[in-house]
Amino acid sequence: MDKKSQNFEERVQYLKEKAKEVRVNIIDMIFTAQSGHPGGALSAADIMTALYFDILKIDPKNPRWPDRDRFILSKGHACPVWYSCLAMRGYFPIKELKTLRKFESILQGHPDMLKTPGVDITTGSLGQGLSLGVGMALEGKLVKKNYHIYVIIGDGEINEGQIWEAAASASKYKLDNLTAIVDKNNLQMDGFTEKVMPMDPIDKKFKAFNWYAMTINGHNMKEILTTLEEVKKIKSKPVCIIANTVKGKGVSFMENIRKWHGKAPNQREYKIAIKEIQGDDDDIK
Amino acid sequence: MILSKADIATRQAFSERMLEYGAINKDFVVFEADIGYSTYSYLFGEAYPKRYFNMGIAESNTMAAAAGMAADGRTVIACSYGVFITMRAIEAIRTFVCYPNLNVKFLSSHGGVTPAIDGVTHQATEDIGIMTTLPNMKVLAPADTESAKKIFDVAIKTPGPVFVRLMRDPFFDIYSKKDTFKLEGSKTIRKGKDITVVTYGDTIFQALEAADELEKENISSEIIDMYSIKPFDKRNLLNSISKTEALLVVEDHQKRNGLGYELSNFCLKNKPVIFDNLGLNDTFAESGNYYKIIDKYGISKKHILNKAKELISKKRK
Repeated sequence: MDKKSQNFEERVQYLKEKAKEVRVNIIDMIFTAQSGHPGGALSAADIMTALYFDILKIDPKNPRWPDRDRFILSKGHACPVWYSCLAMRGYFPIKELKTLRKFESILQGHPDMLKTPGVDITTGSLGQGLSLGVGMALEGKLVKKNYHIYVIIGDGEINEGQIWEAAASASKYKLDNLTAIVDKNNLQMDGFTEKVMPMDPIDKKFKAFNWYAMTINGHNMKEILTTLEEVKKIKSKPVCIIANTVKGKGVSFMENIRKWHGKAPNQREYKIAIKEIQGDDDDIK
Repeated sequence: MILSKADIATRQAFSERMLEYGAINKDFVVFEADIGYSTYSYLFGEAYPKRYFNMGIAESNTMAAAAGMAADGRTVIACSYGVFITMRAIEAIRTFVCYPNLNVKFLSSHGGVTPAIDGVTHQATEDIGIMTTLPNMKVLAPADTESAKKIFDVAIKTPGPVFVRLMRDPFFDIYSKKDTFKLEGSKTIRKGKDITVVTYGDTIFQALEAADELEKENISSEIIDMYSIKPFDKRNLLNSISKTEALLVVEDHQKRNGLGYELSNFCLKNKPVIFDNLGLNDTFAESGNYYKIIDKYGISKKHILNKAKELISKKRK
């Protein structure tokens, strides 16, 4: 789409529609595979849609275009949301989504940069994506290009010490070309983050590492879009956006329920889920 | 064989070549994890500060960031000690360097028990086993100044991940400017007919001394420096053991999962010969004088001598 021809309201409306499609694809592919992680994919869906259908400077016909913005899904298990965005942007045919997690598929259980067009770097082992982002951002600075690196991190994986090693190194090198987005859905595999391993206040932790940090509603498309545009202007500091989200967002019976971290819907659940997503007009309930 | 004492350790020689190469090739960068004055990567850092990234005492982040930087083809040299590279940061290396087959080369100092006085925490005696297990990883281990410098060139020109095992202390210089090194190469440093001794790194010098002693007893041993551990030089090995019919592998590493295990497997499948291997026998070493440690833990001249004689006597039965 041509962004310049549209005003802000139109862009937001467009993204809301796209986010529904992204969510439908997520449910569809996990249902087809009968395996995958719907909860964390749905919580990141609005942010990912804003990135892939508005913010990112990318060329699906040339996935390795040197000047492109880079994207890293540190919470790699949420890859159905990434694959969905990539297919919808034309990196590969939509029908490939049906092959998720299947033998010899280009869509591995966790993202693989050698198999999937548009996957800038392999991820899946938690707590490592921010380090990868630091390396990519250092490369961007070295070659003096103004592309930007976005990393989506789960609020569970920040338990990993390596996240904080990466946080320190990003501020050492003043990586203002790096934006981390914490998908704060308050759930990790074994339960609520506050119970498994409390990490709040996350924003203050990043601020203490000399990052610019802010908190937004990760399902409010206006707020997401405004924030992603604003943070590009911040100089000499990496940026962390704490996005408050709901795990399973968009499918009522999945929302805030631990077991939907890594479980596929059955036929009946699938039908309800698709209907709910398609009928849902509001970005916030 | 009279050996000439080396002035510098392989870690220093490798880094000195890295500095030289930095002037020729502007395309590679170096990551360090706060032991630059020990790995000698500081030499590169002082000359090329914009291409040198000191990530602090944080090896996992260092190796994963190296992968991030290498993601679009950049060659990165990541430096630390063997224990930290191969254990602290192993998953970053396995999943983000080896799996996508990125151009990260590991300068791994303090191989084997060469950091003898530092003790077990700093002695990398499992590094070869861990690194050779990783798909796409190549493993090299130079023994002296000349080979360390030339193996830098081999490492940087070899696509994908390469692990280079270096030593803390200087031992002896055995190669000259004329010697060449390559991936999947080896060097027959002493010709012989009764037994083949395959080794790499610091144990080469023990093997050479043992060979002198064996010669006094009319036993002629062939010594191969298997500096390219993965992939190793099958042709040279096969030629040698076809002649000697006996193989002894000696390494400053655990016996388990080192080059000895690799070659025993190879021989069993291709050319069964009388075989044994020396290394740390499922044990950690300790702090102290290097020569006392290698003697106590079974990889010194004395052990090589005895084991070689034992294998030869088995062969004659």
